[in-house]
Amino acid sequence: MSRSRGEHLFDLLNSLLLILLSLITLYPFLFVLIASLSDPKWAIQTRGLIWYPKGFTLEAYRLVFQNPSIITGYLNTLLYVTLGTLLNILMTSFGAYALSRQQVMWKNPVMFLIVFTMFFNGGLIPTYLLIEDLGMADTRWALIIPAAMSAYNLIIMRTSFMSVPSSLEESAKLDGANDFTVLFRVILPLSMPVVAVMILFYGVAHWNSWFSALIYLRTRDLYPLQLILREILITSSTETMTTGVGGSDKMLFGETIKYATIIVATGPILLLYPFLQKYFVKGVMIGAIKG
Amino acid sequence: MSTAIQRPSDSIKPAVDKSGFKYRLIRDAKINKYVYLMLLPVVVYYVVFYYVPLYGLQIAFKDYSPGLGILHSDWVGLKHFKDFFGSHYFSRILRNTLLISFYDLLFTFPASIVLALLLNELRSAMLKRTVQTITYMPHFISIVVVSGMLVDFLARDGLVNNLLHAWFGVQPITFLQESGWFRFVFISSNIWQNIGWGSIIYLSAMAGIDPSLYEASRVDGASRLRQTFHITLPGIMPTVVILLILQIGNFMSVGADKILLLYNPTTYETADVIGTFVYRKGILESNFSYSAAVGLFNSLINFTLLLSANALSRRTSEHKLW
Amino acid sequence: MNRKQKSLQLTLVSATLLAVLATGCSSNGNSNSSGTATSPAPAGTATGTGTAQASPSAADANYPASMTYWVQMNGNAGAIMKTYNEMAAYQEIEKKTGTKVEFQHPPTGQEKDQFNIMLASGNLPDVVEYNFGSTVGLSASQSPDALIKGKQLLRLNELIDQYAPNLSEVLKEHPEFKKMITTDEGNIYVMPFLLGDELLSVVNGPIFRQDWLDKLNLKVPTTIPEWEAVLTAFRDKDPNGNGKQDEIPFFMNLNSDYDLNHLFVGAWGITTDFYNDNGKVKYGPIQPEYKEFLATLARWYKNGLIDKDYASITDAKLKDNKILNNEVGAYSGFAGSGLGRYLTLQKETNPSFSLVGAPYPKLTEGGANPLGQYTNPFTGYGAAISAHAKNPEQIVKWLDYKYGEEGHMLINFGIEGVSYKMENGYPKYTDEIMNNPDKLPMSQAMAKYFQSGWNGPFVQDKRVIEQYYTIPAQREAQKTWFQADHSKQMPSISLNADESSKTASIMNDVKTYRDEMFNKFVMGAEPIENFDKYVKTLEGMEIEEAIKARQAALDRYLSRK
Repeated sequence: MSRSRGEHLFDLLNSLLLILLSLITLYPFLFVLIASLSDPKWAIQTRGLIWYPKGFTLEAYRLVFQNPSIITGYLNTLLYVTLGTLLNILMTSFGAYALSRQQVMWKNPVMFLIVFTMFFNGGLIPTYLLIEDLGMADTRWALIIPAAMSAYNLIIMRTSFMSVPSSLEESAKLDGANDFTVLFRVILPLSMPVVAVMILFYGVAHWNSWFSALIYLRTRDLYPLQLILREILITSSTETMTTGVGGSDKMLFGETIKYATIIVATGPILLLYPFLQKYFVKGVMIGAIKG
Repeated sequence: MSTAIQRPSDSIKPAVDKSGFKYRLIRDAKINKYVYLMLLPVVVYYVVFYYVPLYGLQIAFKDYSPGLGILHSDWVGLKHFKDFFGSHYFSRILRNTLLISFYDLLFTFPASIVLALLLNELRSAMLKRTVQTITYMPHFISIVVVSGMLVDFLARDGLVNNLLHAWFGVQPITFLQESGWFRFVFISSNIWQNIGWGSIIYLSAMAGIDPSLYEASRVDGASRLRQTFHITLPGIMPTVVILLILQIGNFMSVGADKILLLYNPTTYETADVIGTFVYRKGILESNFSYSAAVGLFNSLINFTLLLSANALSRRTSEHKLW
Repeated sequence: MNRKQKSLQLTLVSATLLAVLATGCSSNGNSNSSGTATSPAPAGTATGTGTAQASPSAADANYPASMTYWVQMNGNAGAIMKTYNEMAAYQEIEKKTGTKVEFQHPPTGQEKDQFNIMLASGNLPDVVEYNFGSTVGLSASQSPDALIKGKQLLRLNELIDQYAPNLSEVLKEHPEFKKMITTDEGNIYVMPFLLGDELLSVVNGPIFRQDWLDKLNLKVPTTIPEWEAVLTAFRDKDPNGNGKQDEIPFFMNLNSDYDLNHLFVGAWGITTDFYNDNGKVKYGPIQPEYKEFLATLARWYKNGLIDKDYASITDAKLKDNKILNNEVGAYSGFAGSGLGRYLTLQKETNPSFSLVGAPYPKLTEGGANPLGQYTNPFTGYGAAISAHAKNPEQIVKWLDYKYGEEGHMLINFGIEGVSYKMENGYPKYTDEIMNNPDKLPMSQAMAKYFQSGWNGPFVQDKRVIEQYYTIPAQREAQKTWFQADHSKQMPSISLNADESSKTASIMNDVKTYRDEMFNKFVMGAEPIENFDKYVKTLEGMEIEEAIKARQAALDRYLSRK
């Protein structure tokens, strides 16, 4: 395979451009990491770019992890992410499959019904009352069931399902497969890239979610990580909440606690993407289609 | 609902008459029984968690009092809407909201697509994965920290001014104090933070493109540029169009969080949007009904925009929500 | 203070102010008395023969066997415990009263959402400890009166008379407290959090670099012209000694300097918001004096006495940065985070760094006393009781315990012999608090034992903050700031439904315009001659309506009994 000089030049420029972009987008994270490991005094007194921690200290992390609710928070979050995402994928696949079939009479009305909810909802209070009536208030279910699917993701998955050649479905049906078999044996295996995206989108959403926990939970032992971290953040960096007592001692570390909290909060979820990346390689579906 | 009966053009049996409709109904239920079985939990979910609480919309027309509850609070008609439209600043916040959304659509939205296309052209799989992973990271840094960095870097004595001065001899600019700069700062930092995250979905769409298409075109001697425009872009077009429709349906919802952290009274002129304005009003008085009214107003416009975008797309391409 | 935090602060209305308040208090202004409500046996109350320290059986109600209690988890406590049951003071109270308290804790700073849905569901725990302050955060339809009318909360007046002898005594000693905690409709809705000592209402004010003043042989300025002279010297004479003219003589922040502190503007006897001029409500930004205030700041800005960047410094870190990097000569801040914290941070690396709290400047030598920051002793925080509680009289009695001598000491100082020792009648914190062996920051060590590091249903003792301000400069700053005039402070008035719904929209426009124009005038984008036009515009926005509403509310307040 030969490439023209123009293509070579393009490849070079493209690589350089993307490396530059990576540096620009990497920096904020690097900054947060470095600052979290620095002496708070130094973190406050430095402006502009920093490249290495000065006065290296893990004190900020110690202060974050001394919180008795951190570990339960991590475990809870792990549970919410796993269970929640599983349910999400199942429900979204069902919906996306059903709504992407060509000859389903009610699919457009149902689609409309769902899209409508992206714009109009009853708001916080009636939803809370509903959750309470369902007996889910202050239970783990409140973070999983009401977030069983998102219309936005459903639409994305459906769009992807639609691009699977319908001949595959037809031939499977001729072999006597029902729709469940078609979904699980034909469509899903062919749609791993979008499933990976769904895992990422839903997983990250569950991981970052704190508001429904704030609304529905009263028992501290059920709190997800983010809620605990927000609490630490607010206490250590919000001058107004810590004025007077807390203003001068705890806030010494406020600046670095802020960064340590971000590392603690995002570290694990950042690792998710590299695992899912293999599904984004061009031609990954080749075997499946031919088979 | 008329959409229920208007079958898409790919429908097989044209409707003949009323008994025909009944016939189709039964036939549809029979053929698609498993499909409807799958759809059942989905519909139940939306009905229970979205349609049952929908009665809460009425608080936009009431003076909600927690002591009385939603149903028993007093009706006030369009009072909250009038309050909102009657504000001295209504036209300004509407204009700012629309403009920021428009620029976001114009610049941020395509940026991710361009990144995905460029990534797709990278020869080294290793480099590709690295760039992907790195560019997606800023999405996870909290807005508070990103804004803090922006305020630092863009200050009169900050990094950006130092560089501009050293390289081009530019006199210091207080970027965040001049309303002319606000949208530029806001949009470009949006791109910086979200370009990588946004590109993921396109990369996944590209992974689904049949590789034999590329092979065939290579045999025909097509250049890579040609392949990009004739295979890759059409391949991800359904995703692009659908996301575009959804984005248009989000036109009125400019997030207030980041603006609140970056704006100040000297930049209200260009930075104050509906979200921030309502937020400041919330400081004065936490009023569920007022926010509900503004929310409803936004939703109505958003929904109308989405319907229009969808209708337009239906007519010009085969991609559509329904 | 960064803008977001500022907004947060305002949103959390008095939570903020209460946190400010939380800096300390005791009731009598007599720092050597043991606080409040110590006089035994308030005979006036209906049945109460006993104070809480007397044996409980003396009263005709027992302590409840158990109850549910909703209160935000304070962050300092949350860092070391999962419920307040783990706090030494509450454990001791449980021993004394035999009451099992089942705490429910929404997370710090986020309690408002949970509070609102809790009300919506009508499912209140027995006790709700919350900031009901009406300055912000609660529209009239959510006001305490509305909640009592809506059968969500109990009216406590009679219960307090009968079953809360300790609190009754406090209220008898301080009729002004009684006025504050009673609504326009005559309801008492909480067992209140109270600041007794006036000194403790003052926690924020102007601060100078003492070492800069010393270096240039200057005294702490006390008038506006003196400020101008000192700031000019800071600008020209290189007090940070780096050979560059990079000093920011005054670091300005619109919201905290003016809305909170009335700095400078108070010299003209007005504020940047509503104030109470002898029973008459006025709005500062439309007064003719405001024009002079703006003209002064505009001159300072033009002459480089104010940070050119001031409006865009919306990030707290940048303020810290500039102050700690020897760029700033004067600013205003809290005695804790704005003074003590900086001194601690600079102690080792820059020992010459010193700060002093400066008095609020007068207009001229011998002129009228300027206004200054002041927090009302009661801002709406306290423990309310659900209308569905089974045994409200017992709960009131339990809550009242903390207003008695024994409870007061427990909640303010913790366990005698462990967290404090009496020295000459002064409860002195031990090293367990001051220098915690587990390396807990002091605020957390306090939280381990008692609640007075923040607000709750009790009277805060001034000796808490006296000991918390470990640096003398902090204590002196507080005393200096206290000299300012607080008589024009608006009390915690409450607007009725009609007033608040009419004026909330007006005030949003007004504040937006006021803030925008403030910057334009100060930065010179708008010539000060246009001040009259500006006032006209504000009048066009119906500022008079808003003033009228507040006047009515103030009249109601003043006629409270």
